[in-house]
Amino acid sequence: MDLLRRFALGEIDAFETLVRQFQGDIYAWIVRIVRDRGTAEDLTAETLWRIYRARHQFRPDGNFGAWARRIATNLALDHLRRNRPEQSLEREPAAPPEPDRLVKRETREKIQQAFCRLPAKLRVAATLALVEEVPYDEIARALGITAGALKVRVFRAIRILRKRLSEAGIRPE
Amino acid sequence: MKMGDHDDRQIRDALKHAFPPVNSELARDLWPDVLRRLDARSVGIPWYDWALVGLSAVVFLAFPRLVLLFAYHL
Repeated sequence: MDLLRRFALGEIDAFETLVRQFQGDIYAWIVRIVRDRGTAEDLTAETLWRIYRARHQFRPDGNFGAWARRIATNLALDHLRRNRPEQSLEREPAAPPEPDRLVKRETREKIQQAFCRLPAKLRVAATLALVEEVPYDEIARALGITAGALKVRVFRAIRILRKRLSEAGIRPE
Repeated sequence: MKMGDHDDRQIRDALKHAFPPVNSELARDLWPDVLRRLDARSVGIPWYDWALVGLSAVVFLAFPRLVLLFAYHL
């Protein structure tokens, strides 16, 4: 019997094999969304647990990777909805206090703040499409929406961001 | 709805600058964590299901004819 069928029947050995095979991909996807290594590890473990819990819903002739990514995306989205934006930003080491650097750092922080205040679903769409440059069809599949709906989300995110940056007196170079 | 490519690129560049690439390499095996979650949250029968079973048993013992009525409606 093949691996996916055994997994769907609840065989723990089959599940362990799948975890070892897919944990890296799931983590890589989640960390690009939440941008915090510790949170991403926790959400990856949670995703894997949910995958096992939902094994009866998985069709063994389906695409396990795509199914896992969909669950991971939903979980990451829930995490962004629940948590304050500042908590999911990975801090960089402090830069030396040179005036030019300070200004750049301040600008960067304002952009980060404006971005993190976006609604979670716009933020995920914009992070993956604009920051990570993941192909639109790949993101749309993971979010369970059409490519057209994704483009609307990215467009709305850009529009809101541009307005907020303009209000904060920042003009992207 | 279409916006200028230039504006789009400006925002994209600003965001890429504000959010430097993250290391997407998984540093450790998460299987032990997953196992811990499986153990901690193993699906059991909730207390109210057991209470319902107990209540049904008491009712059927007290009124045996209800078993036939119940079976008829199944």
